[in-house]
Amino acid sequence: MGLLSILRKLKSAPDQEVRILLLGLDNAGKTTLLKQLASEDISHITPTQGFNIKSVQSQGFKLNVWDIGGQRKIRPYWRNYFENTDVLIYVIDSADRKRFEETGQELAELLDEEKLSGVPVLIFANKQDLLTAAPASEIAEGLNLHTIRDRIWQIQSCSALTGEGVQDGMNWVCKNVNAKKK
Amino acid sequence: MFVYLWGYLYSNFFRFWLKWILRLLTGKCELQRICGGSKEGSQRTLKIEYSLGLSKSKVLRHAIHVGEAEVEKCVMGIMKEKKINIQKDTGFKTSLQVCLLQISGYKKLYLEVENLRKVPYDSDNEEHEKQLIQLWNLLIPHENLKARITKQWCDIGFQGDDPKTDFRGMGMLGLVNLVYFSKHYTSEARQILSRSNHPKLGYSYAIVGINLTEMAYSLLKSGALKSHLYNLVPGLPQMEHFHQFYCYLVYEFDKFWFEEEPESIMHFNHYREKFHEKVKGLLLDYNQVLTLQNIKKP
Repeated sequence: MGLLSILRKLKSAPDQEVRILLLGLDNAGKTTLLKQLASEDISHITPTQGFNIKSVQSQGFKLNVWDIGGQRKIRPYWRNYFENTDVLIYVIDSADRKRFEETGQELAELLDEEKLSGVPVLIFANKQDLLTAAPASEIAEGLNLHTIRDRIWQIQSCSALTGEGVQDGMNWVCKNVNAKKK
Repeated sequence: MFVYLWGYLYSNFFRFWLKWILRLLTGKCELQRICGGSKEGSQRTLKIEYSLGLSKSKVLRHAIHVGEAEVEKCVMGIMKEKKINIQKDTGFKTSLQVCLLQISGYKKLYLEVENLRKVPYDSDNEEHEKQLIQLWNLLIPHENLKARITKQWCDIGFQGDDPKTDFRGMGMLGLVNLVYFSKHYTSEARQILSRSNHPKLGYSYAIVGINLTEMAYSLLKSGALKSHLYNLVPGLPQMEHFHQFYCYLVYEFDKFWFEEEPESIMHFNHYREKFHEKVKGLLLDYNQVLTLQNIKKP
């Protein structure tokens, strides 16, 4: 085999591109998670107006991660980003118990969206570094996650601040990228 | 490659000989030539800072790290090291002193700003709470807050019913900036707030303000603000000057946003970056001073 054909062969197997949508209420920690994934500095974060996007290479995939602002005022724009989503990552501030109901409602509405039907969903129970954080099991129960039957899903406790649990969640994402139910 | 090689040879070899020849011809060292030859302000101070940083002498290299109190002693040390005759070049001592004050002042200002940024907003702290309420009263004086935690906060552009989580990585610096602009440019602040409620081109006033605090902070941190501050302040820049620059950003960003007519708020980061590049471009100009024009200074 000549050098040229080897090069051509390498070029013909590029990383599979994956579109990941990062959603959740404001102050859930989406941008911190995004920066953590891209190994960027997380100490100067400000509230997201609009969205941020970053591409991360992981396990043979090119993950294009879309982090959309969570403020109530801009939630109506979320739907503009649904198309062709491979995996949905939903981030929850596990220490903000007062807003569990609100976040549960938003998640339920997302799962009802036609454009997101069958899309695997990873729920990050974030901010586990805080003493007051609810454990993932409690959140799963509160949000009735066990009633989700139309797609595969997973809840993963993590701290976007320390990075703990983030990689475990992303491993799950890479394993289930192609598991979209038609 | 050639550029790198040239840069290496220049800073390690040619620069030294060029300086040596010029010294023979003019009878003055590089620092004297800069002080005599360039306009005071950023042109002079940036060149002095660069020259000192590259110097082979420890005394000179150290000069860009001294604090305000040691500046005078340091200038004497430099004059001794370079054998500069005070009678022959009378203006030199004062000029160099001003440059060193500006250099040390910039570093000190960064530390002060960084310390304020590191203070997280704390709703148990009375002083913090007082400033937050003050911000509301300055912007919407004819309407009382119904409670500390209320949806009304969204009216001035916070994300939810409690602003405390919106300061994030900017901490108290974000709030102090917002209050400063509203206090010193009250009518402009109210006008911008009302424009930010535009049904199509609107944006969230307070959190865009916090985003602009981040912009001002990062420009200060990277050193990009030197040209502006060295021109503006012939001595030690103060916190006040940082706040003033923030006011410039808020005022100019609002103008920029409405001129650009973005499709929706979802494109904020694109236009923020565009504005950031524009400001960085302006700051490359040696003679730049970025202050609010057309409205009077407080």
